[in-house]
Amino acid sequence: MAPKSASSIKSTSAVQTLFDAYTSQTSSRLKFIDAFLVFLILSGVLQFSYCVLVTNFPFNAFLGGFSSTVGQFVLTASLRSQVNPENKGVYKEVSRERAFADFVFGSIVLHFFVYNFLG
Amino acid sequence: MRATRSLSGTTVSSIFTLLLVLCITLAFGSSATAKSASSTGDSVLVILDSAKKVDYSIFLQGLEAKGYTVTVRSPRDESPLLIEDGLPNFSHVVFLASDTKNFAKDISPQTLVELLTLGTNLVLTLGLKQNLLTSLAPEFSLLLPPPATPLVSFFPERSDSPSVIPIAFDTKSVPNDTFSVLSQVENKIWFSGTPFALSANPLLFPILHAPAESFAADLSDSPGLVADALADAAEKGGEGFWAGSTLSVVAGFQTLIGGGTGHGNDAGPGEDKQSRVVWVGGPSLFSDEFATKKVVEKVETERGKSVVEKPSGNEQAAMDIAGWAFQEHGVLRIDEVKHHKVNQTDAPETYTTNDEIVYTVKISSFNPTTGKWERYSDLKDLQLEFTMLDPHVRTALPAVRGQKGVYSTTFRAPDRHGVFKFVINYKRKGFSHLLHTLIVPVVPPRHDGYPRFLSAAWPYYIGAISTSVGFLLFSAIYLAGEVKEEKKSKKE
Repeated sequence: MAPKSASSIKSTSAVQTLFDAYTSQTSSRLKFIDAFLVFLILSGVLQFSYCVLVTNFPFNAFLGGFSSTVGQFVLTASLRSQVNPENKGVYKEVSRERAFADFVFGSIVLHFFVYNFLG
Repeated sequence: MRATRSLSGTTVSSIFTLLLVLCITLAFGSSATAKSASSTGDSVLVILDSAKKVDYSIFLQGLEAKGYTVTVRSPRDESPLLIEDGLPNFSHVVFLASDTKNFAKDISPQTLVELLTLGTNLVLTLGLKQNLLTSLAPEFSLLLPPPATPLVSFFPERSDSPSVIPIAFDTKSVPNDTFSVLSQVENKIWFSGTPFALSANPLLFPILHAPAESFAADLSDSPGLVADALADAAEKGGEGFWAGSTLSVVAGFQTLIGGGTGHGNDAGPGEDKQSRVVWVGGPSLFSDEFATKKVVEKVETERGKSVVEKPSGNEQAAMDIAGWAFQEHGVLRIDEVKHHKVNQTDAPETYTTNDEIVYTVKISSFNPTTGKWERYSDLKDLQLEFTMLDPHVRTALPAVRGQKGVYSTTFRAPDRHGVFKFVINYKRKGFSHLLHTLIVPVVPPRHDGYPRFLSAAWPYYIGAISTSVGFLLFSAIYLAGEVKEEKKSKKE
């Protein structure tokens, strides 16, 4: 019992430190992006479980709705990595403005296809 | 030219009257072609020894009274030809020369079969000796007993030879879906000739069965031999013995549309020819002798048995058999086929899967008394198939109440796209076959043809809309933050 409780204390403390580090070190801009990502995950999970548990009948609508969350998640995640100051070395030629413009362009194209699919 | 100019007024007027008379005779002649009771034509060729013509006068006069023009040709005469220049010379051929052995060149099994493909109807009578008809009969799935074995019966007790048999027509022997050729014959029919068994050919059906007590045997042998043969057959349980009411003495055969293949492809109404053949065990059924021969019956009355003489049914039976063969009765045709979606009136170019389709067909039957086609509503078991290789839909096609001759049904197109056919394939014994196919494409819905805004799909719609709204909000707030940061950095 003792080692297990110790490990659980350890893990809780690890999560705690992770959470603390995240709240203290992450910029508010990145936190905002993360909030949007969490929203997208929740929306996708809800739609998928509705499809599995209730009906997949207008399957095209499911594809549209679900892929919009997935696609938006991917685009937003890439925006996050490009605007993250820690990645400056990786994306030397991509300015923050350029990254955002790419994100907007990609999203508009994505939504165009999504509404086409919804039927 | 000079001669015409010099014609006086009186001669001109006389020429006019001549022309008028000619026109009138022509008009009458043409109206006479439509006068007979048959739906396919009124010229009849009877192949019969001219010496024997008097023996069949009642039958031949009966045909003429019905409006047929009867030509008699001796079996060895070279003319008139059955087929000339690839076209049949007669609409109907009656073959009464069944005892003849040798025939003119053009009377052969091949020509008889060709006549059928050309739409000529045949009445063929078999003889006791072998000739071209006995060799043709197996091609129509008739099984003949050995040559020179007529049908004999010792019942009922009578003064005639055992091979002259009165046969009663039993209406109950005709199944419901079969045309009853002899339904108007009330009296017994005298028969003398060879019986035959029918093998399982769907186009062949019995018109008159042999009596249950009758059998095929050669009575010219000494009487003891027949008794021996009967005893032998009884020992074997009747095997190989030609006896009983499963034998027929008159059978009908209706050819398929399109000259035999049965796939007269999409021939429109009336374009396809079907012909009919009647096989009769002996020509004497049509003879004057049997038509006038009385049927003697012993009837039990209160005072005991009394002998009653009744007229025979041969005259009526002969006319009915010829009438069926000449396509007077049981002749059906499809007049019109319509199909459209429910709540529409015109046929669309294509149907979409799951469309509700209305299919309507108008069917007529030939009325021999008026000589006209009349709408016919009495088909009880008409079916419609909607096929793509297999029938995806097979449904009853009931008659519409109040509209004569109209059959209609509504069905849902299958959830399957492809090239479909509406098929009516109605084959009943004794009736003309109805075959009609109509090709229609069934396509999947167009991209905008699917149902929209389904309640089940709202979670997905909300998901997609919320993502878009989220994206807009996110972009706005993100940009706002950017502007703030720039201000900050400038201040610094």
